[in-house]
Amino acid sequence: MHSPSRMLRSVALFCSAALLLPAQFPDAPGKEVTQKVCGACHGPEVTVSKGRTRQQWAETIASMVSKGAKATDTEFAQVLDYLTKTLPPKPSVATARRPSAGPMDVHIVDPAGADRGRSVYVAECVTCHGQRARGKDDTADLVRSIVVLHDRYGSTIGPFLAKGHPLQSGRPSASLTTQQVADLAHFLHQRVADTLRSGPYSKVLNVLTGDAKAGAAYFSGAGKCSGCHSPTRDLAGIGAKYDPPTLQQRFLFPRAVGFARGGAMVQSKPVMVTVTLRSGTKVAGVLDRIDDFNISLRDSEGQYRSFERTPEMKIDKQDPYAAHNELLDQYTDKNIHDVVAYLASLK
Amino acid sequence: MTIRFVLLSTIAGALLSQTLPPTDSWPTYNGDYSGRRFSPLTKINSSNVNSLSLAWVYRINAGGAIKATPLVVDGVMYFTVPDHVWAIDARTGREVWHYTWQSKGGEHIGNRGVGIYGKWLYFETPDCNLVSLNLSDGKERWHKTICDLDQMYFGSVAPVVMKNHVIVGVSGDDLDIPGYLESRDPETGELQWHWSVLPKPGEPGSETWPNPEAMAHGGGMTWVPSTYDPELNLLYLGTGNPQPVIAGKARKGDNLYTESIVALDADSGKMKWHFQSSPHDTHDWDAVQTPVLFDGEIKGEKRKLLAQASRNGFFFVLDRTNGKNLVTKEFVKTNWAKGIDAKGQPIPNPAKEPQIDGALVTPNQGGAANWPPPSYSPQTGLFYINASRGFSVYYIYDDDDKPEGWGGNDRGGYAQSMLQAIDYKTGKIGWSHQWESSGIRSGVLSTAGNLVFAGDPANNLVALDAKVGRPLWHANLGNAMSNGPITYELDGKQYLVVGAGDTMFGFVMNSK
Repeated sequence: MHSPSRMLRSVALFCSAALLLPAQFPDAPGKEVTQKVCGACHGPEVTVSKGRTRQQWAETIASMVSKGAKATDTEFAQVLDYLTKTLPPKPSVATARRPSAGPMDVHIVDPAGADRGRSVYVAECVTCHGQRARGKDDTADLVRSIVVLHDRYGSTIGPFLAKGHPLQSGRPSASLTTQQVADLAHFLHQRVADTLRSGPYSKVLNVLTGDAKAGAAYFSGAGKCSGCHSPTRDLAGIGAKYDPPTLQQRFLFPRAVGFARGGAMVQSKPVMVTVTLRSGTKVAGVLDRIDDFNISLRDSEGQYRSFERTPEMKIDKQDPYAAHNELLDQYTDKNIHDVVAYLASLK
Repeated sequence: MTIRFVLLSTIAGALLSQTLPPTDSWPTYNGDYSGRRFSPLTKINSSNVNSLSLAWVYRINAGGAIKATPLVVDGVMYFTVPDHVWAIDARTGREVWHYTWQSKGGEHIGNRGVGIYGKWLYFETPDCNLVSLNLSDGKERWHKTICDLDQMYFGSVAPVVMKNHVIVGVSGDDLDIPGYLESRDPETGELQWHWSVLPKPGEPGSETWPNPEAMAHGGGMTWVPSTYDPELNLLYLGTGNPQPVIAGKARKGDNLYTESIVALDADSGKMKWHFQSSPHDTHDWDAVQTPVLFDGEIKGEKRKLLAQASRNGFFFVLDRTNGKNLVTKEFVKTNWAKGIDAKGQPIPNPAKEPQIDGALVTPNQGGAANWPPPSYSPQTGLFYINASRGFSVYYIYDDDDKPEGWGGNDRGGYAQSMLQAIDYKTGKIGWSHQWESSGIRSGVLSTAGNLVFAGDPANNLVALDAKVGRPLWHANLGNAMSNGPITYELDGKQYLVVGAGDTMFGFVMNSK
């Protein structure tokens, strides 16, 4: 029979052992490709500590691409499916994951507690420390407060208030109940978490600031967009298909990872290539991979072909987005905002 | 002769004028204190590099990518990933020992490696500890807390050892916290000096902040190893971006000494001079890129120089005795600066700061350069950097008058990658080798064998002719090269070692 103390000790041992296990991606279809794409730069703990919606994961992937993440569109779509399925938003305090930065024993915010804490904050603190708890000229910024950052469930906020601190209602701060202090701690830790990169406010506010008429003029004028695109054919209804921030990203960076409203992956058009061998034979197809030494492609029958590059070989690449890439050195920000307004009007 | 004596004498000797770094070891992060990552070895050279052979492979089986530049001392190689240190045989890749730190958290994004002093090794952990191990068996000697995990600091930089100082820096870009650099006692880990990146109210530099609150929380992390000039007894550090990182509304001003190259007295930590690479940065373009030290001639005058290819796209050459700017020139085309001021610092264009509706900016957040180390060859006079020309759109997400933490970010986009060889005298591009795809972040090594080693975006380790930039040899490593390559000679054979993902690759020249 186990004595209670021994049981406690074995529980404690079990818990600490679990903490020490290296973080792993959960088993599910797409794990391997996710390990490959994300693992090229960072370990799994950076990813598995997060919980996000499909839209949020899509934004994460887009942001990682700008930091150098590399994969095919198909692979990015697999990664998105995998992350959406295996790492959904944190549903409750019991299954909450800690952020990748900061300590493992971080204060886990209970949303219900934070809601109750908000009431305490509004009743006793908001006048001095402000709506977002960021302080005013002569009062402490609670988001940056060492007392708050060192706190776990009221462990340092409680003693601080017990020593006496002015409250709005005029009651002694030591009279706050343990529950009220714990709730206030949830509310303040929630404010801290909201400032992180992964916070709920990390989203584009409004890109519809341009002049649609000027955008239309740029579209058929200096931008030469009308050379390839038409508002009544390929772009008909484009404003309904994409939200405005995605529209902005899609015409600037058509090859970057893109998601339609609802999170459907947008496939970009491949680069086409024609390889002329020394013999004069031409092999054409979809470019698979190219470096200084080798080139590979899929020909019109879907056959994989790979060649060593030689001085005699001629390679002719056709990037359907070449004109978009050239425009990056020409757009003004006003051009961009005008074109977004114009495209968004094509409902 | 003790290892310690060998180490200190060879490293110090390496810096005196144009003498050469050690060839049978790689005793510091950059091979020597200068940051040149230039080796005088010639057994691997542009005539025979096609015969370079794989000697060994070591896979860490611990997850993550090897971003550490390994150190080699007495035939043993030491390197890290977050929470792990390995000692492997530099001839065979055989594991000698493996140390695992039991973590209490922190960002595990990367670790740049170890520092060595005598028979002791030092490394930082993501949960804010400086750990000292016994070099011979990997047993822990002591650990000291160097930062506050609750403020989301973490450790990632390789400590640099000079004289009786272990120089440690801190990382952390999540909350708004002050950056600093410390010197620790190599025997005890106790604090010797603490240099704060951010001035205190009333001190010089405080006039570049709107108020004490913004200044006290103004960032400036110290997450890439310093370089050191033993003759001047100055260490050179690039400091990180100001905070809040993207949303700079409540920190108007230049925000000294963030985004700066600073010279500190190695014994006191007192700042001798500073040069700001990116005044009032709002693009996360920390100026931590290695300040490379070499002697050269500019406009007919012999000078002690310092060069940096900065994340913001500009190449700077300074006189390292006084910080005076001699060259400022883009090494990739950028669109964010209005011009260059009298001090040689770029003037940021406010219209290219992050905007609510977005501003198209180049470089992107990843930068024209990043932490991977560059190289300078005294043989060619060229400064080599694996560069990127990327575009993205920078947004403000938090339109509060006092945004905090991240309050914005960039999205996108499009990038090209190229190896740039820069003429330090003018900042002009000597040669440029554009890679066929984009996204590479690898370090660079140059050698007296007329070679430059770098990673390309297609997972190749590539050797190029150092004078003209022609690719001569490659090996596809299956993962992108993730650290800076090193070279050393043992038993008359020259080795070349690189990390790619979770694997270390050892190449050797067998032919005479």
